[in-house]
Amino acid sequence: MTLARNGVSIRTERLNKAFGPVQAIRNLDLEVLSGNRFGFLGPNGAGKTTTVRILSGLLRQTSGYAEVCGIDVSRDRDSIKAITGLLPETPGLYSKLSAVEFLEFIGALNGQSDEKLHRRIDSLLGVLGLEGRQDDLLESYSSGMKQKVLVASTLLHNPKLVFLDEPTSRLDPSASAVVKDLILVLSEETDTTFFICTHMTGFAEDVCDVIGILNQGGVVARGSPQEIVDSAGAGDLEDAYLRIVGGKVDREALLAWR
Amino acid sequence: MLGGEVMTGSWYHIAKAEFYVMTSGFRKHRAIGTVLLYTLATVWASYLAPMIIVGILEIIMPMDVMRTLLMVMFPGLMRTVILFLWALLLLYPLSYSLQEIKIGQWEIYLSNDVKTKDILAGTFLGKMPLYGLIVILVAPVLISPFMAAFEVPLLGQMLVYASLAFMVISTLWLANFLTSIIQARLGDSSRGNDIAKALSFVIALVVIIPMYGLMFFMPQLSELLGMDAFLIMPFTWPADLVSWIAITFNGIGLTGGQIIGFASILKFDIIQSAILTVTFGFLWVPIAIAAADRIFTIGAGARTESVTTVGRDNIILRGIRRVAKGPFGALTIVSLKDFGRKAQNLSKIFYGVVLAIILPIIIRQMSIIEGEIFVVDEILPMISIMIGIVGVFPFAGTGFLESKDQLWIIRSAPKGASRFMRARLATGFLMAVPLSGAPTIAMIIMFALPPLLAAQIFISAYIVVCGAVMIAMGATAQNPDYEDTKSPAHQTVLMTSMLLTEFTLLGPLFLDLFLTLGLGIDVLAVIESVLHVDGLWFMITIVGPSTLLFVGLAMMTLGIRSLGKVEV
Amino acid sequence: MTSRNNGISIKTHLLSKTFGPVHAVRNVDLEVASGSRFGFLGPNGAGKTTTVRMLSGLMKPTSGTAEVLGMDILSQASDVRKSTGLLPESPGLYSKLSATEFLEFIGTLNSLKGEVLHKRIDRLLSLLGLEGRQDDLLETYSSGMKQKVLVASALLHEPRVVFLDEPTSRLDPSAGALVKDLIHALAEEMETTFFICTHQTSFAEDVCDIVGIINDGALVVVGSPAEIVTSTGVDDLEDAYLQIIGGKIDRTSLLSWR
Repeated sequence: MTLARNGVSIRTERLNKAFGPVQAIRNLDLEVLSGNRFGFLGPNGAGKTTTVRILSGLLRQTSGYAEVCGIDVSRDRDSIKAITGLLPETPGLYSKLSAVEFLEFIGALNGQSDEKLHRRIDSLLGVLGLEGRQDDLLESYSSGMKQKVLVASTLLHNPKLVFLDEPTSRLDPSASAVVKDLILVLSEETDTTFFICTHMTGFAEDVCDVIGILNQGGVVARGSPQEIVDSAGAGDLEDAYLRIVGGKVDREALLAWR
Repeated sequence: MLGGEVMTGSWYHIAKAEFYVMTSGFRKHRAIGTVLLYTLATVWASYLAPMIIVGILEIIMPMDVMRTLLMVMFPGLMRTVILFLWALLLLYPLSYSLQEIKIGQWEIYLSNDVKTKDILAGTFLGKMPLYGLIVILVAPVLISPFMAAFEVPLLGQMLVYASLAFMVISTLWLANFLTSIIQARLGDSSRGNDIAKALSFVIALVVIIPMYGLMFFMPQLSELLGMDAFLIMPFTWPADLVSWIAITFNGIGLTGGQIIGFASILKFDIIQSAILTVTFGFLWVPIAIAAADRIFTIGAGARTESVTTVGRDNIILRGIRRVAKGPFGALTIVSLKDFGRKAQNLSKIFYGVVLAIILPIIIRQMSIIEGEIFVVDEILPMISIMIGIVGVFPFAGTGFLESKDQLWIIRSAPKGASRFMRARLATGFLMAVPLSGAPTIAMIIMFALPPLLAAQIFISAYIVVCGAVMIAMGATAQNPDYEDTKSPAHQTVLMTSMLLTEFTLLGPLFLDLFLTLGLGIDVLAVIESVLHVDGLWFMITIVGPSTLLFVGLAMMTLGIRSLGKVEV
Repeated sequence: MTSRNNGISIKTHLLSKTFGPVHAVRNVDLEVASGSRFGFLGPNGAGKTTTVRMLSGLMKPTSGTAEVLGMDILSQASDVRKSTGLLPESPGLYSKLSATEFLEFIGTLNSLKGEVLHKRIDRLLSLLGLEGRQDDLLETYSSGMKQKVLVASALLHEPRVVFLDEPTSRLDPSAGALVKDLIHALAEEMETTFFICTHQTSFAEDVCDIVGIINDGALVVVGSPAEIVTSTGVDDLEDAYLQIIGGKIDRTSLLSWR
């Protein structure tokens, strides 16, 4: 597998997606290098999830071009799926399976069912701190634990590119620290590319080396967290985000509703 | 009927919110829409329904003949009619609301300091407009033949409808109370929701079995127990009250002797029936209000409930693992586990098995009643036709994908959708074994079938069930409802699968009918002369099931394609 | 009312709750001053939601006592519910009502009516950026928008104590900043007390003047964010949390599963 042609993992050109009258993405030009940890920020409904679905071969764009690891997304979707992992926004787990059984299910969907798979499942659950609960049905898991199982399922088949949609919104600080470290280690040691949609500017600052801010369907800022903070003349990424996207309300307005 | 102390107003706001929820479909024109609906319903109830029903009945037989018939069957039939209404009112809200547990709403009520009896009263009053409308639409259809037969004047009719209204209100109150208790016990968790869905099917069974019983065993039951057995049932009292009002106010001049005749059947007189009805109705008001505080409490969350830990695979699963190595086997095993651990699936399988066992009993019963000699060979076509429903039911709609995100996960694996569907299909084929085996065994015991016929019945039942399973799964995959039994997708899938299965099974017969009537070609006769077998038998047991398999395969292919498609 | 509680809004003594064999909350002693913003941190399932439910008068404690605004949560549960607002963790929104209808419902339950209520609803919704969507059914809202409606419903009747269970987990950074500012403004100008369960340590650092960390049902630390950070000898609240609760995993074990 010679992926990441020219070291570019994701490339889009004038990518558009419209749902009826609603223009979800507008002429999106994006480039993510392999090994990058790309943080995708933007308001609710800005088109982040739509972009992820197009890139992972689940959704057809209205117009424009996109390639993932050198593969055209409108051509060979199954090859893209084989080398990418996707963590959806809300946990879509089987409530009546145990964590091990669910991961066996995901492994089998990806064509694996051997001893190696079971070894990986066991140690991955161990790393995420779920050993001891691995044979309990998922219905009894907290939302944070479910999220951990899903993170495990995305990494199970050793993808070259991982899409994470809000990976830590339900995790407590310890669990998100583990996920953070896992992302950092994987991207450094194995050259895995991460494409992370998030609302948590702090998380993006800690984890991502490149940030793109999406607003109204187009990328309005792009660069390393430091570059974005500097160019916006802000103190931190949250501040920079608020300056770029807007959202400061003065105090008088905050209390005027009463 | 709610007492004076609940006039704080909270119940009113809850009822209003429930009313808004119900009318959200036409929320732009809420007031006009509601008035219009009720006006139409009233016109229907007071004018259209009696006219149409009596009209239809008069086409079937003249009023004089029917009057004698109705008078003979009157008290018993009235009890059946009221049982139907009562079951509808008690169990339908129960099974309907069990499909969606509302503990989150209770949390909002309670944190805004709503008293528990206000929640009870508010949710009850909120249900009234809908179920009131249903009763206004249904009751006249059931009642008007009697009113016409006894020529009950307006005052009598008004009394009848007043008694019915009382029964409706008190039954709804009871249903609302029971629903709240069950919801509180189950709690708002995926486990609770699953059990609730399972219960809602069991409840449906509780309605269906007595209905079958009343329809088919009325004569035997009455002989055995007399009508007295019904006297302890709460639905009997309002039924008898209505009967008595109709008899008392009759406009056809019943003689004293006839009335004494009725009295000997009904046992309780009008006063006793009225007292029992009213007492039973009011009994639940103080009980429910007193219990309200206990019902509406927020319990432990889903996580603090008992935790189920899975053990080692059982012998069947290990067997499958040995036979089917590789990803397909692993997927099938996981799919079986997922299916088997959901109480709602088990209850649907149980429901199907019960329906399938009832079937031969009814067939036998019918031929006994009609005085025919029961021919075992005739079961086969009947079983073929009826068991299609049994196969569709557990696999159509729910129990497929729990959420859209689950679908995204499956789709994000290469060829994930088709791998997933093939494993589901294997699960369905395995589940078809008990579904077709149960009625076969029941019949072997009941009719002492010869082994060859038994094998024949099992095989043809199994083929039909498998075809039905494929149709149901295919239809579900094309239009998943994500466990929302109230969604249009769920209703569509259920109806499509049922109708498609039955029409495919009966299709050849229709085709024959058209050909015979239209072109004068009697296909059945042609088959008989060419193959030397009974044409009807051949059509239903060979042609129907084979067509069903083809249609099932087509639906399955469409389902896989639709599930795996790239969304636009 | 204020005179009776000497500036203390919430006071618990040996507060405990058990579900069968599970100790959800054990012997919690806590004091929260009026107008302060208390941040409640801890792993999933540590007892945060149970504590909030007890303090808002929804659940009876197994043992121990608690007072909210000087009122006993057991004997005066009804008064406690009247003067507090709650944003529950798993929202029980009516999906078939519009935002306006839902807030009218909540308002009338709290005896607000007429002109005052409608003006307040309109202003709150436009402050939260929901104007134009206010008459759409809630089932068509995104999770962030639903969260905004719930925030509005918790503040609508100007409660003196507000319990927020994960208020910003689904909000984009702009909306999150808005909620932060709203909390600040209400606490400072109106002396509203906030009791906030959250997983976002940066949110707690920005908003809360006092933070409590609960683990396995027991309160481990209480103090201002700066105090907690200093006493653990780390840089920020996230590190302090990890130090106290644990959760750091070394790099080799993060890759051992592969």
